[in-house]
Amino acid sequence: MERLAAIADEEFVVAGSNGAVTVSPANTQQVSAILALASEHRLSVAPIGGGTKQTWGGITSPHIYLSLARLNRVIEHPWQDLTCTVQAGCTWFALQQNLSQHGQFAALDALFSDRATVGGILSSNDSGALRQRYGSLRDLVIGMTLVLSDGTIARTGGKVVKNVAGYDLSKLVTGSLGTLVVITEANFRLYPLPQYERSFTLAAPQAAQLAPLLADIRASHLLTQSLQLRRSASGAHLDVCINAHPEAHQEAILAQMAKQHGLVPEECSPSIWRERETIFSADATVLRISTLPTRVCTLADQLQATQSDAQAISVSQAIGIHDVALCGSADAVASTIAQLRADAQNTVAVLQPAPGVDMPPHVIHPSALSLMQSVKRNFDPHGILNPGKFFAGA
Amino acid sequence: MSSSLTTAVLSELRRIVGDRGLITAANQLQTYECDGLTAFRVPPAAVLLPESTSQVQSILRLCHRERIPFVARGAGTGLSGGALPAEGSIVIALSRMNRILNIDIPNQQITVQPGVINANVTAAVAAQGYFYAPDPSSQTVCSIGGNVAENAGGAHCLKYGFTVTHVLEMTVVLPDGDVVTLGSKTPDAPGYDLAGVFIGSEGTLGVATEMTLRIMRKPETVQVILAAFDTISAAAQSVSDVIASGQLPAAMEIMDRLSIEAAEISVHPNYPACEALLLIELDGPQAEVDLQMAAVIDICKKNGAWETRLAVDEQARFLVWKGRKAAFAAAGRLSPNYIVQDGVIPRTSLPAVLEKLNAMAAAENLRVTNVFHAGDGNLHPIVLYNRDNPGEEERAIDLSLRILDVCVEAGGSITGEHGVGREKQCSMSYMFSDPDIETMQRVRHAFDPLDLANPEKLFPTPRICGERSRGAYAPHPLEASGIAEVF
Repeated sequence: MERLAAIADEEFVVAGSNGAVTVSPANTQQVSAILALASEHRLSVAPIGGGTKQTWGGITSPHIYLSLARLNRVIEHPWQDLTCTVQAGCTWFALQQNLSQHGQFAALDALFSDRATVGGILSSNDSGALRQRYGSLRDLVIGMTLVLSDGTIARTGGKVVKNVAGYDLSKLVTGSLGTLVVITEANFRLYPLPQYERSFTLAAPQAAQLAPLLADIRASHLLTQSLQLRRSASGAHLDVCINAHPEAHQEAILAQMAKQHGLVPEECSPSIWRERETIFSADATVLRISTLPTRVCTLADQLQATQSDAQAISVSQAIGIHDVALCGSADAVASTIAQLRADAQNTVAVLQPAPGVDMPPHVIHPSALSLMQSVKRNFDPHGILNPGKFFAGA
Repeated sequence: MSSSLTTAVLSELRRIVGDRGLITAANQLQTYECDGLTAFRVPPAAVLLPESTSQVQSILRLCHRERIPFVARGAGTGLSGGALPAEGSIVIALSRMNRILNIDIPNQQITVQPGVINANVTAAVAAQGYFYAPDPSSQTVCSIGGNVAENAGGAHCLKYGFTVTHVLEMTVVLPDGDVVTLGSKTPDAPGYDLAGVFIGSEGTLGVATEMTLRIMRKPETVQVILAAFDTISAAAQSVSDVIASGQLPAAMEIMDRLSIEAAEISVHPNYPACEALLLIELDGPQAEVDLQMAAVIDICKKNGAWETRLAVDEQARFLVWKGRKAAFAAAGRLSPNYIVQDGVIPRTSLPAVLEKLNAMAAAENLRVTNVFHAGDGNLHPIVLYNRDNPGEEERAIDLSLRILDVCVEAGGSITGEHGVGREKQCSMSYMFSDPDIETMQRVRHAFDPLDLANPEKLFPTPRICGERSRGAYAPHPLEASGIAEVF
């Protein structure tokens, strides 16, 4: 602790009741010094931002929590170039507030954006309904400052949108759950804030009744910004966000398409786009399932018809990403997960297990797994960064 | 026989690919001694033309056992020497793996082999109303495998992104012969994004033998405007103003007078004769495009455009783009030899950087003509020279590399879409510090610990760059701007 206090000031080194120490460095150089020290003494380190997704990829019990909370500034926003540079501990909400001064935004609706930080969102590769139009986080991040487990400070990518110089480590690091490096800064490409958003919802007892319309919308020219399916025991909703100039009359086109399937769109509050946050209630087991786009409605209905007594609520993105809450006995939840994993068409991650639910967080194909482990060993030879996430014992 | 491979190895290679799949005759090897960067030439020890993933696997297993370096090659159109053979290497040419394996319209995906020509992907789905977005200027001849290696871009990546945005899943043969699947047809494959780092790795991590690509719905309407300006700065200002107005065009391109003239002689696009031509393409629903186009024309006129010409129907648009895409080849009409450079700068620094480039060219008494993907700051200065004038080629290469230094100093990059290859590996040390490059090497060594895959490319090496990074020590731009410190 003294050595940590010598790096970051004493007030920023706090011992927790579980024996772990939380240290909050002030800059990239201090992050580097802390990791070099941890590496030397083989102390395990968990980088932490807002702490909203600590269970993703498996729960760890590190010696040191490395909090990025003090690296919370938007460093620059050259708005004419539609880019920005921001420190990892900045909350997503604060970043967006800052960018909106020039009518721009980082085109991603992250979970819990008032608490979730840039670094944590990158590490977990979160994405929401905006992905339909703007792509994933890996399409938005254009450069990073990274600290390796031995304290090496490295930069990857750059500040320009188009850049193929060297390997794109930003993509590798995005979604690596803090197991490869600690991110201290990131550069993003930005978009102008949408000007004409309107949200609509269409209801039906089952997702299957919405599937033909969803397929039609995907094959149409309709300018959808978001396309989401909500399903619970009480029914199904297809949510559509349109973002086009009013004179393009997209809502009339949507109504016309819906009519052909006997459905009527109703304009609704944009709060539906935050519905997926309700999936992450404390007592639920939360899964993220990937499927092909054509299986979105099928899976949503299947989740309601499982043999076990586990109750499911799902919020699915039309591109094939499903956030699913399972409630029920631990056995019932585990058996539902096992059933879902038995179907090779689903890729199932357990993001948040309820107490007593003990299932592997990820299932990675063995051939890719050994290559990933070799990447991990080359970046973190002593295995100090988030040991146990992704690969047990790595 | 000119090959440096042993007879035993050659006969094993022949067993894998058959007589038709092995080239060893010196005159036939010549075809493979360079790619689009013809200033660098190395004859390969042999060329293999595999027809399946399992043949590629057998070849790489043999290379691994015998420690033979290999270079994968697509159509050989690369402009940075990425497909240049290494001393004693074999070349694996994927041109015979050119089948489209599956088309899945409802899921908007297509699975192809690496030898498929870029434009043929769009051709395969055009009837159903879809297209494949990355469109490098060489799209009628370049292959998807090469696009993956270089993370190819094109004029439309301003709106639609690069190759990496559009590759969902790949079958990859690793340098030890293991076959892995990277990425997935469903979103976000579990674990590390190895596909994301493989794409654009310029053949240094393995050989991709099958890829599933994302296809997109063709927009309802496409319109292109040509605007003629008296200065490049006025055209560049229009680009900034369009961005500031909150619009995201599908493409924004600028050509200077020399490029316009060359295109005119070469493919007769009937461009207005002017100092700077700005080409803006908008796509989307008809009503919205009409409104946006009116706003764009307004912006151009405010910045002094003296002619604006709208191309709406497909034939008119085709001609406009044909002129732009022929710009590199058309440089041959201006000068016996030329180097196409590929730098990136923050869009807003365009006028200042251009002024510097012109001064540098004048000082060398060389002509430089420019075409830009102006929307994303990607410059393609074309350095014109005559190899027959003693010393001129060296001066042209030197000037083209110094142009990259200017791009880095402006906060940009040494390559936006052509890759580092052999051409720019020494410039890497100007853009990146040693720890940055060593961190990339950690990935390289996880995939290819023996350095067999396209060796001596992309990374600066002492043999090629000398111990010094080009010129005297120059502070890393991040360091100079006070963002970082040297440790």
